[in-house]
Amino acid sequence: MSEALKGKGADNGGTAAGVGGSRSSGSGNGAWQPLIVAFCCNWCSYAGGDLAGTSRLSYPANVRVIRVTCSSRVNPLHVMRAFQRGADGVLIAGCHPGDCHYTSGNYHARRRFSIFARLLEHAGLEPERFQVRWISSSEGDRFAEVMQEMTETIKALGPNERWVDPRWLKIT
Amino acid sequence: MIRYIQESRLEELFRILSRRGPLYLPLAEGPSLSFRPWSEGAPVDLKTVNSTVSAKEIFLPREEAYFCYRRAGRELALEPLEQEAANAVAFGLRACDLRGLEMLDRVFKDQDPPDGLYLRRREQTAIVALACAEPAPYCFCSLFGIDPARAGGADLQAWWHGEGLCLKALTAAGEELLSSAGELLHEGPAGAEEPPRVETGNFGLKLEGLPAGLRERFDDPVWEELYRSCLGCGACTYICPTCYCFDLEDFGHQEKGERYRCWDSCMFREFTLMAGGHNPRPTRKERVRNRFLHKLQYYPERYGEIACTGCGRCLRSCPVDLNIVQVIRALGGESR
Amino acid sequence: MAQDNLNRDQATARIRAAVTQDLLSGRISLLLGWQKGLFWWRSRPLFARSQQDLERLVWDSFCAVNLSRYLPEELSIEERVGILVKGCDARAFHRLLQDRMLDRERVLLYGLPCPGMLDYRLLAEAGVKEAEQMLEEGEELVIQTGGGEERRPRTDFLLEKCRLCSHPDPVVYDQLLLPPGEPRMDPASRFQDLEARERPTPAERYAYWSGELQRCLSCYACRQVCPACSCRECFAEQQEPRWLGKGAGLNENMLFHIIRVYHGAGRCIECGECQRACPVGIPLLELSRRLAKDIEELYGPYEAGMDPEAPPPLLTYRPEDPAAFPEK
Repeated sequence: MSEALKGKGADNGGTAAGVGGSRSSGSGNGAWQPLIVAFCCNWCSYAGGDLAGTSRLSYPANVRVIRVTCSSRVNPLHVMRAFQRGADGVLIAGCHPGDCHYTSGNYHARRRFSIFARLLEHAGLEPERFQVRWISSSEGDRFAEVMQEMTETIKALGPNERWVDPRWLKIT
Repeated sequence: MIRYIQESRLEELFRILSRRGPLYLPLAEGPSLSFRPWSEGAPVDLKTVNSTVSAKEIFLPREEAYFCYRRAGRELALEPLEQEAANAVAFGLRACDLRGLEMLDRVFKDQDPPDGLYLRRREQTAIVALACAEPAPYCFCSLFGIDPARAGGADLQAWWHGEGLCLKALTAAGEELLSSAGELLHEGPAGAEEPPRVETGNFGLKLEGLPAGLRERFDDPVWEELYRSCLGCGACTYICPTCYCFDLEDFGHQEKGERYRCWDSCMFREFTLMAGGHNPRPTRKERVRNRFLHKLQYYPERYGEIACTGCGRCLRSCPVDLNIVQVIRALGGESR
Repeated sequence: MAQDNLNRDQATARIRAAVTQDLLSGRISLLLGWQKGLFWWRSRPLFARSQQDLERLVWDSFCAVNLSRYLPEELSIEERVGILVKGCDARAFHRLLQDRMLDRERVLLYGLPCPGMLDYRLLAEAGVKEAEQMLEEGEELVIQTGGGEERRPRTDFLLEKCRLCSHPDPVVYDQLLLPPGEPRMDPASRFQDLEARERPTPAERYAYWSGELQRCLSCYACRQVCPACSCRECFAEQQEPRWLGKGAGLNENMLFHIIRVYHGAGRCIECGECQRACPVGIPLLELSRRLAKDIEELYGPYEAGMDPEAPPPLLTYRPEDPAAFPEK
């Protein structure tokens, strides 16, 4: 988790200028760039991401992918921690319902993250900042599209101000 | 000297006082009342007796970061964090708050070395005490020799008189505060030399036998009964003017971080939990006993005074009505 | 509310008679009930082991404390415990049962249909400071103040959690000690007040909740009093990983409450003890109820603690479930 948010990332730095903690816009390169954390399940959505890569489809380097075994493995506390550490948007990507590698993980995730999304909305988060999507391993184009779309949406919304803890920036 | 200001002009006084530094006033937050830094238009409440959270948080804040650390190789660099502005004014403290501060002073200020963070705030905050016009149903400060209308240790004593506040300087710092308000303040009205005497009830409690009488009662079966209803939350400790336990925590990791002090509560299981898993106060029985023995025996044995100001906040805030009055009664401290 | 034929003292006497029998015969070794608190407007938990203890038993309009919460610990000491349960306490019992925190057979439940508990703050605002100023007559309160005598509906003075209660009669009991009453709120429409209090924009919602939660002391009274909160190690205390510090900054307060409400989603019995226990008066019940409403909208009507066999909605699923996000 800490690696993904250190601004170095595993990406090839395509649109690298200014990518990093969303608060660091002051340091020389001007425009703020959103930071999006995407939890991708290993079997479907992460594989879809690999396919996007091998198909030479690009998606913005603003998205930091964290591979998890299943979308239902993601703990809402991980989502909160991402926002605390400066993420402007958080995405959870899993298998299409019915296709979960563990049979029912994404069914649970669907209920749990529906309710969690509603809760975050009640607490005042802009709904677009927390999203859940189903992406299969053969949907490289969809992967790129979802990441592109999310980046644009978050760019339009601006930096996230909910629950950001500036102390994290001082220690990363 | 005694000066006077109409209630309708208090905002102007606050404006003047807030120029020198933070001005703390009892501010309404929903149904709760706490001492918070004032800003223009803030909902000040100087009538309600008393604040939900005691004034101790002006001097011992809920959380205060005090240094950063950074490791480079084998070197560890410490950098003190800039503390917020001093030269504060704390306005509207009640006599029970002031007595609580006296108790905290013995622990933080009158030690060698003193607690620097507390000392700085204590030395650089002028205090305007506010007399209670009448006690609330849960007040029993008179039991501890406190006069709700006369707070010891303040720089200015204020009291309501008609449609305004009388202000009487008790120290040079108090005089200075009055002068700084200049034309805004009038002569004190005739006949208002002193706030009227006020006395609270005492729930029929008597304190003879405390603390000495508790020395032999560590294993008394009374603790078995008393602790049962306790939920194990920290409400009573956090609102109490004489509770001062704190934790030191780091926000960070091996290489970089900041250290802060924050309130802690002996009512939490983790308070005495040690690395390795041993806990000398494993159940709520030990923790409830400890809390009240601290107030009624340990603190008085060390510092000469029972660590309760009769402010009544625990009577108000405990969700299950477990409070120091119940405990003193159970220990036999009730005159029949 | 059919307390008409049975005034407080009679009710208390009847309850005391029923439980005394069981306590003296050894059928139970402990009775959880209420006794008078320090003030006339508070009652507090009673842990009765003898007839003498039972003499302090009361049943009045201030018995708000949820007693079920004490059951798991008392059952680790006592063989069989008796407990007085109002509607909410009975649902709390089911919550604990479903969470495998206690054995049904070792608890003897005495059901008390509840007329709703009074809120001293509302009484004081109406000028009632002394017990003598107030008389309960069925559905009404007769109040004496400086301004004379006033008759007001009792429901004007209920704790918010009681005003919103849809199950005042206990859903589970071994003996019902008082006559059942009238429902106060239809479960199907129990969220209507939330619709009236919608805050339309994220900024308004954040302003509201950050405004309320910034005064949170992190005392954890809400968690300690909650029947759904029974984790041996709460996430708030975890050190590995460490989610929260002990300080009470706004961000950490919001994180604590968001996650606590989330952990209770589909499990919360809407008893409102969290809100009553909060020393600084944060309207915690509202956040849990909003989530309960969302769960009903998405996954069908569900009330936690009513049927111990019905699995909580977030512990189960249907393949054809809707989602609160686009699935296309």
